[in-house]
Amino acid sequence: MRQGMTRREFVKKGLTIVAMGATAPSFLARTALALNNPWDLAQVQSRPGVPDERILVVIQMGGGNDGLNTVIPFSDDAYYRARPTLAVPAKDVLRLTDTTGFHPSLAALRDLYDRGAVAVIQGVGYPNPSRSHFRSMEIWQTADPEGRVVRYGWIGRYFDSKCPVCEQPTVGVNVGPSLPLAMQASSGQGIALQTPQTFQWMPSLRGIGAQEEWDLFRLLNTPGPSASGEPDTIDFLRHTAMNAVLSSERVREAVGKYRGGVEYPNSRLGASLKLISQMIAGNLPTKVYYAHMTGFDTHAAQRGAHQALLRELADAVAAFLRDLEEQGNASRVLGLAFSEFGRRVAENGSGGTDHGTAAPLLLFSRGLKGGLYGQQPSLTDLADGDLKHAIDFRSVYATVLERWLGADPAAILGAPFERVPFM
Amino acid sequence: MAEPSLRAFRPSAANPWDAAKAAHLLQRAGLGGPPEEVQRLLALGVEGAVDELLNYERLPDLSEAVDFSELRQAYADAFALRRSGGSEQARRDLQNRINRLQREKLQEVRLWWMARLVATPRPLQEKMVLFWHGLLVSGFPDVQNPEFLYIQNHLFRRRATGNFKQLILEVSRDPAMLTYLDNNSNRKGKPNENYARELLELFTLGVGHYTEQDIKEAARAFTGWTLRPTPTGEFEFFFNATQHDDGPKTFLGRRGTFDGADIIDIIFEQPAAARWLPRRLFEDLVYLQPEDHLVDELARIFRRENFEVRPLLRALLSSEVFYSSRARRSQVKSPVQLVVGTARALRIPPAAAPPLLLAADRMGQMLLVPPNVGGWPKGRSWITTATILERYNFGSLITEARMPGLPPRLLEAIRPVEVAGLVPSTARTAGEVIAALLDRLLPGAVIDQKRQFALWRALGANRAADPVEATPQRVRSVLHLLMSMPEYQLT
Repeated sequence: MRQGMTRREFVKKGLTIVAMGATAPSFLARTALALNNPWDLAQVQSRPGVPDERILVVIQMGGGNDGLNTVIPFSDDAYYRARPTLAVPAKDVLRLTDTTGFHPSLAALRDLYDRGAVAVIQGVGYPNPSRSHFRSMEIWQTADPEGRVVRYGWIGRYFDSKCPVCEQPTVGVNVGPSLPLAMQASSGQGIALQTPQTFQWMPSLRGIGAQEEWDLFRLLNTPGPSASGEPDTIDFLRHTAMNAVLSSERVREAVGKYRGGVEYPNSRLGASLKLISQMIAGNLPTKVYYAHMTGFDTHAAQRGAHQALLRELADAVAAFLRDLEEQGNASRVLGLAFSEFGRRVAENGSGGTDHGTAAPLLLFSRGLKGGLYGQQPSLTDLADGDLKHAIDFRSVYATVLERWLGADPAAILGAPFERVPFM
Repeated sequence: MAEPSLRAFRPSAANPWDAAKAAHLLQRAGLGGPPEEVQRLLALGVEGAVDELLNYERLPDLSEAVDFSELRQAYADAFALRRSGGSEQARRDLQNRINRLQREKLQEVRLWWMARLVATPRPLQEKMVLFWHGLLVSGFPDVQNPEFLYIQNHLFRRRATGNFKQLILEVSRDPAMLTYLDNNSNRKGKPNENYARELLELFTLGVGHYTEQDIKEAARAFTGWTLRPTPTGEFEFFFNATQHDDGPKTFLGRRGTFDGADIIDIIFEQPAAARWLPRRLFEDLVYLQPEDHLVDELARIFRRENFEVRPLLRALLSSEVFYSSRARRSQVKSPVQLVVGTARALRIPPAAAPPLLLAADRMGQMLLVPPNVGGWPKGRSWITTATILERYNFGSLITEARMPGLPPRLLEAIRPVEVAGLVPSTARTAGEVIAALLDRLLPGAVIDQKRQFALWRALGANRAADPVEATPQRVRSVLHLLMSMPEYQLT
């Protein structure tokens, strides 16, 4: 259950808005109203047919994850021929079918798979694949392989499409200092934070008094009529600053309510998913959370590094789902783990793999139909040494947008894409 | 507005060489500084000021160095142990020791560089080191040996404004780069494409000016360019002929038995190579997305000067477009620009490097630990709800020696900023005190009266003309508010 604001908060924030007076710009008034008006919130939530309780958590595996050593075609001799030193021996593969299995580091995900909470979409990619990290990541984040100029991300465009609670800056929360392109919206919603403790502004200890200093802070940061010749970047900065202070209190309050006892692995992803779980438990009005892993660009000495990364992924996701189950939120949350590309079928001479193309994509939730979808692309019928994709990643997005978030995929992705039946 | 142009800026009565423009030059081409430094450049005139910054060899460089002898000894011990066998326990102990020394030394190099940025008498040179670090990227943890990053940092300093083609050749043989992009294991028969790809995509040409096949061929040409250990625990570039593929290659339409140096020669024959660095430098120093005709003109200069960087810098820093209203006060400061610029403007000593370094880390720029081979973000990408609060709270670090997220032991290295001398003794009114502080921290910025009111209030005044007593605590609280302004994030 999402809770409305207390009367004390409402009065306090409401007065803040009044104090800003007639010069308060519309976005701020909108944001503040949405933050402060529990009745407005109730209205959007009761819109018929909108799955308003559902949350998407995106995990970005930066660097290009080696798909072939993640979901392994262990019955295919071509795999062993192409990977004389890097192939995982068939006896070590965690079998999902007679031909396909997980890397041994994914033991925790295998348990979830057996319980129907993991969907593996095989051979995901897009036409004319780019092997540049930056171009390909941009393509995945904008869902725009044709290279039209798309300034906003696929998730940002979902925010712009008027989802429930989209008026709130916290509709999207990235854990980390940056805001991924995927989450950038023309409405400017979506926040980034590192830790709740540092996500707050502090007035001086020995200034003219905290209360008045806060008022002066607002005066300096409120978007307003710009002085002549002022660059529009100033307005962007003011907008961001006000979104930050408006969200700060909400986030810290939500996180403060968390009483979970689930232990998370001591890793970057573990810490990020734990924080996300805290925000979910605190009923932050958020539709999409975003977490990051890096280090998948394994051109050399891949074996140990990749093993550790997959373990970090599986163990953190397993702890997260355990935590959500204890909270009673497991069927409200869908996880999607992607990478900008897979890696070359044949290993190189450095015990690593160079940039490739298609790769499996992982989804996890108590609310999906688990299993394997699509097909492992042929390891012998290649394009330039790389796999040919079978499923366009935008089909996965379209399925998530329509069946999980209740949005119109064609409007957001620019074209209809076939759905993948994992939900 | 006039068409942006690289014509030399000629001051006129309507458009004079003034303190705002001198401060602009100092912040963009250097690392910022106090008003006295701005006045010194102002007095030199525009040409003299550009010369002063560019011809930095006339000034002595800082001499502090980082000592790696302990780490080198540990590496040498590791080679000896590997040769002699040695017990499992001995190997493990040594590996733990090496891991600890690597972490400690990395932090030491990072602190050493931050202290240098704060204290250097050659700000343009150090600014260019930062530029090269962001363009020809290497970093921890892919590069585990911090001495490699130190050596690379010195390479960037030595070649700061030198020949770009020469720098590309040297960086191709640089231990940190050979490690970061794996060319040290790029071998004949099974090439590793990592360096070849980024050399073309990110260092010299850009996407669209080569094919996937060109990458594969270039990777073959760089096979055998590797490192070897020396008996003293250091590493040096080594051309391993037995691992080099000396067969014929086809690269960018040319055919021959090329090696890495040939590949670099061919790259620099491409028109795109003459445009790549000028565009990147323009974006770093002037504004993002320069007009094509400006890049064309800079490319002509760059090619004519045989890829020397200094004439390119001189042309940029002397140009009309550099001093235009579009360029001035429009750039989002990187975290390092923000932190170092504040330290230099307020005369924070280099001994405060530990918290300054961590503050920049928290704002999203970890020196020597770049996010990926693409380097740092730029422009508005620096600013999110997370980083803007870190940036604002940096004001607390400077004025009160505290900042959320910074461990107390680091805070011992910094004291609340010394305010004596920041406000002239002749300043008696709120307006005069605030004007002096704005002049120091926001030279050339226009702050409307409504917002200046907030700063007068922090002094206890309601009007510019109200007399005030500028006590250290009040001045500090004004500085804190001033650093919590959107305007302070721009230069």
